[in-house]
Amino acid sequence: MDQASIIIIMVVIVALPVVMTPVLMYICRISDRLRNGLAILTAAATFILTLLLYPFIRDGGVVQQSLFEILPNLEISIHLDILSFSLAALASFIWLLCTIYSIDYMAKEHACSRYYPVLIFTLGACQGIFFAGDLFSLFVFFELMSIIAYILIIHEQTEEALKAGYKYLVMTIIGGLALFFGIIIVFEIGGTVSLGVGVIIGEPSLLALIAFICFLIGFGMKAGMFPLHVWLPDAHPVAPSPASALLSGVMLKTGAYGLIRVVFHVYSVDLLRSSGWNNILAILAVITILLGSAVALTQTDIKRRLAYSSISQLGYVLLGLSILNNNALTGAVFHIFSHAFMKSALFLAAGAIIWKTGIRNINDMKGLGRLMPVTMGSFSLAALAMIGIPPLNGFLSKWTLALGALDAGMPGYVMVLLISSLLNALYYLPIIIPAFFESPEGEEINDHGDEGSHEVLFKIKEATPLMLSAIVILALCTIFFGLTPNNIIFSLSRLTALFLLGGGSF
Amino acid sequence: MFAAAPELLSDLSRVYYSSLPLWITLLPLLTGIGLYFVKNSAETLRKVVSLLASLAVLVGVMLLLPMVLSGTVKYDLIDFMQMGLFFEVDLVGWIFAFLIAFIWSLATLFSFAYMDFEHNRRRYYSVLIFTLGATLGVVLAGDFFTLFLFFEMMTLSSFILVIHEQNREAMQAGILYLYLGIAGGLALLFAIMMLYSATGTVNIVPVLEDLGANRTLIYIMFLIGFGVKAGLVPLHIWLPQAHPVAPSPASALLSGIMIKAGAYGIFRVSLILFTSPGEIGAADASYLFNVGSVLMWIGIITMLSGAIMALLQSNMKRILAYSSVSQIGYIATGLGAAVFMGTEGAMGFAGAIYHIINHAFFKAGLFMMVGTIYLYTHELELSKLGGMFKKMPLVGITFIIAAFGIAGIPGFNGYPSKTLIHDALLIAIKFNDLFSIELAEKIFTLTSALTICYFIKLFRGVFLGPVPEKLDREYKLALSIKAVLTTFAAIIVAIGLFPNFILERFLVPPAEFLKYEGYAMDHLYHFNFFEWHPVEAMLVVIILAVVIYLPGAYRNWFSWQPPPWLSIYALLYRPLTHRLMILTCKAGLILDSSVDNAYNQSGSAARNMCDYVGNIDHGLDSFYHKWGLIGSKLAERSRDMDQKLDGFYQRSGQAARKLADKSADMDSALDKAYQKTGKAAQNLAKQSSDLDKAINVVYDQAGKKTRDEVEKRLAGKQEKHDKAESDKWSTKNLSFDNLLLVLVLGIVLFIIFYFGRSS
Repeated sequence: MDQASIIIIMVVIVALPVVMTPVLMYICRISDRLRNGLAILTAAATFILTLLLYPFIRDGGVVQQSLFEILPNLEISIHLDILSFSLAALASFIWLLCTIYSIDYMAKEHACSRYYPVLIFTLGACQGIFFAGDLFSLFVFFELMSIIAYILIIHEQTEEALKAGYKYLVMTIIGGLALFFGIIIVFEIGGTVSLGVGVIIGEPSLLALIAFICFLIGFGMKAGMFPLHVWLPDAHPVAPSPASALLSGVMLKTGAYGLIRVVFHVYSVDLLRSSGWNNILAILAVITILLGSAVALTQTDIKRRLAYSSISQLGYVLLGLSILNNNALTGAVFHIFSHAFMKSALFLAAGAIIWKTGIRNINDMKGLGRLMPVTMGSFSLAALAMIGIPPLNGFLSKWTLALGALDAGMPGYVMVLLISSLLNALYYLPIIIPAFFESPEGEEINDHGDEGSHEVLFKIKEATPLMLSAIVILALCTIFFGLTPNNIIFSLSRLTALFLLGGGSF
Repeated sequence: MFAAAPELLSDLSRVYYSSLPLWITLLPLLTGIGLYFVKNSAETLRKVVSLLASLAVLVGVMLLLPMVLSGTVKYDLIDFMQMGLFFEVDLVGWIFAFLIAFIWSLATLFSFAYMDFEHNRRRYYSVLIFTLGATLGVVLAGDFFTLFLFFEMMTLSSFILVIHEQNREAMQAGILYLYLGIAGGLALLFAIMMLYSATGTVNIVPVLEDLGANRTLIYIMFLIGFGVKAGLVPLHIWLPQAHPVAPSPASALLSGIMIKAGAYGIFRVSLILFTSPGEIGAADASYLFNVGSVLMWIGIITMLSGAIMALLQSNMKRILAYSSVSQIGYIATGLGAAVFMGTEGAMGFAGAIYHIINHAFFKAGLFMMVGTIYLYTHELELSKLGGMFKKMPLVGITFIIAAFGIAGIPGFNGYPSKTLIHDALLIAIKFNDLFSIELAEKIFTLTSALTICYFIKLFRGVFLGPVPEKLDREYKLALSIKAVLTTFAAIIVAIGLFPNFILERFLVPPAEFLKYEGYAMDHLYHFNFFEWHPVEAMLVVIILAVVIYLPGAYRNWFSWQPPPWLSIYALLYRPLTHRLMILTCKAGLILDSSVDNAYNQSGSAARNMCDYVGNIDHGLDSFYHKWGLIGSKLAERSRDMDQKLDGFYQRSGQAARKLADKSADMDSALDKAYQKTGKAAQNLAKQSSDLDKAINVVYDQAGKKTRDEVEKRLAGKQEKHDKAESDKWSTKNLSFDNLLLVLVLGIVLFIIFYFGRSS
């Protein structure tokens, strides 16, 4: 494919969901079924179009193209490299599954005619972030996505949801302002904010440090980095489950993505290493990991527990990024994928449980494994991957991250990862074990097990096939991308790391 | 001297490439998953498939034997999980694999009768066969990465075996097992990562020199990782809880086989990883001496405390579980001795591996015997049992044989391995005359005596004495159970009677391969288990046991229950985990909530500031408002005034209008008056004109008369005159003007004539 058609495809990927948004709004009035189908179709088309870029990426292609100029030297432009492609493919894949899942999940909910257009619009904005060719375009799409996602968060419109949404909005605006400030400083120092020029800031200066901190605030807020994570445990639990899955699985990653871009395209690796600014990120990441895990232990609401877990897991990504070597970066990028699969599966499974039974408290989940074996089985698989049990993908990312830390001579980071794994075990296993091996309400198990009666219950209680399919696909991804010898995602991650560290070539 | 017994020397250096290890591992894993989908009702199918799977594994392991007797079998699955799956089977690994496959088959057979009374058999058989694959994977693994993979799998799947009963006790024990297993697994992972980062390989090869400064940390982490599984004190606490609650065949496997996976790991780390490929330097040798001493002392403490705890138990399976802890102590002691003796460590190595083999047989057998008793009586407490020898003589006899085995009575299988470990300690004393090793040897003897004591206690409690009334009935053992128990007894006796077979065939070649030499190796070639010296040591043990047991039983020492606070769980684990847990959670919560608070507070501060600014704004507003009020009042007033003015104007306007009206009235009146006077004047004028006319008429008439008169007179005169004038021009008619004109003309003419002539 030549460059021109690649650019057209990229523009279509971003524009299609955005254009479909008003269409969906209109269709809502005509038919619900048509709206659902169209939403899935849009997400699927976006995913397929993104995959079309793969041959180009495989050959090491990079695109940097200015679309139109807003001010002198300030333009809306697009950029495609292996990192953009990886994340865009991941995002559209998870989006597709969550949209499929939404069909049945949201059937009971109100205001679907608001939900679907917003869902699809955020997809477009999210793809826009990954395809943005300069910090300014990135900022525009980043803000678009963040602000529109507010509507997803407050969907329930309960007092709690509105409160959480308000918190989210305030934090988003603070982050956005910090980001904006950072971009202005970069523009002031380097005269450009394009991602295509390699390194914009090569010399350490106070202003550069301030810009770096601004970026940390702006993107770190989105990624749930300590101490900017406070919105996350409030916002994720109140959103509808598919939206939580997207928030946790994909939208948090935009923050990590932004930081990767900042580290490798704005500053140079050498600059960060020599000035030691990456240690700021590392320290915050370590605190984030331990804090998230420790607080998750104390939560009894399943979605809150998952939300704190997300904080901790994003800490892994940031830690991997801060170490700045090949293995660690591979691990960080691979963990973006791993966590997207695991956490989306967990949120969707938790959503199915809540949808079907209304149980949110983990102490009430005893015996659920027998009633919803597929849902709970997928949940367990994803949770075991979270703990880092081989041969699941979570193990592979932790292994690679730890090797990176050891390459950098930091066994302390490995300890942090392992302690966090242990804490993961401590807060996931008390959900899984009682679900499978205890019976609800203290009822003793019949010694001669009349499993027949359970099977009747099982048929009643499992969620719908559409919802299950999304959960199961994600759970299978956690096995497949851990076990398979020909691990395409791991290869992508490794190539991405090589690409970024090699300054734009493999 | 070193070249003695050349007929035993065999070359183990050949390498075979075969995928057999992979299939041996994969078969039970896949069968296990498949078994879960067998219907609940298809009981026979499930049993047959399970047994066939374990037998197939056994056959597969036997097929490996010719290869491992002359070398190692390797298989590499590149790129699996990015690190590759690597199998490597040597003779020691094969011994473990054989033990696993063989005892697993027996346990599967034993399960047929045992599990018929249990619930959830589908899950049990599925997990049982799956765990077989995972456990085999551990010992067939060629590198630590692969080993870790299967190790974790084994931990998770055996957890399901432990909690099979799913009652409160089982759940608690299982969860303790799982958490410790995962914690151990993470320690192991840490060690493996450090190893990889230091040496660039995870293969199980001698790398002591490359390990660098972190080698002690690596060793400790390995020891914790494998020690949890093996049940080394103080990491053993899960074991006495988890083994008794599992179904008996599973307990047999847990105690007989799975704790050996831990021992296997310790063996690989201590005797292969922590050695050098070549000569070991003096510094490294003293380092290894320390490492080995630590390992040996852990073993000694483990064996003693395990034996004491076993003696104090009253539950059959708990006695056996603590006994397992104690026996693992023997194995660790042997390994420790092998490490610190360096090249002289052959005796410790052989003893440890031999004891692993023996313990697998007698402990698995014992658990199944006790399981048989439990199966038919549903009692585990010694106080509620008794007289079973009469009721189940076969179980009684096989139990005695197994107990003799574990006690180390000559002629039974525990004797040769204990003798080898004991000899390893004696040789150690010979080479390094240290008090600590002598003390260790004494404790070893004491522990062996205690072992005999708790087995006497167990045997008396279960098999002797009166039969409780409740249990006084006929028992008919299932055929499979009889077969299994008899097999165990036969093997125990066979090994006991021909101890040199295993030693020469399976232990000496790997010892040579590990480059053991010197006195100990020489000793091992010619070892005769039935000479006076080792038998004497055993007699000492037996006498000591009698000396301890008789007063102990008389004074009821062995029913003393240690207070709960004395347990290692209460002393170490509970406070530690409790504190740590609380600390972690609290620290996390405090940090999280303080961040949240900070935001809230800064938010409320900002809100306050906004309020303040708002107040100022409000003040300004009210200021404006006040002035506005005044202004509006002023405006009101001016409006009032305006209105008044307006009214005034209006009024004055009205007045003016009235005035105007009146003046208009007056005007019109005046007008009328004028008009009237005008009329009057007109009348007057008319009258006067009438008068005038009348006068005029009068005058006219008077004038006419006069004029007539005059005319009459003039007419006469005129007639005369007109006649005169019209007849002649006369001077009288010549006017003066005409005269003047004529005169002037004449003069002009004169002048013209006069001057014209003269010129």
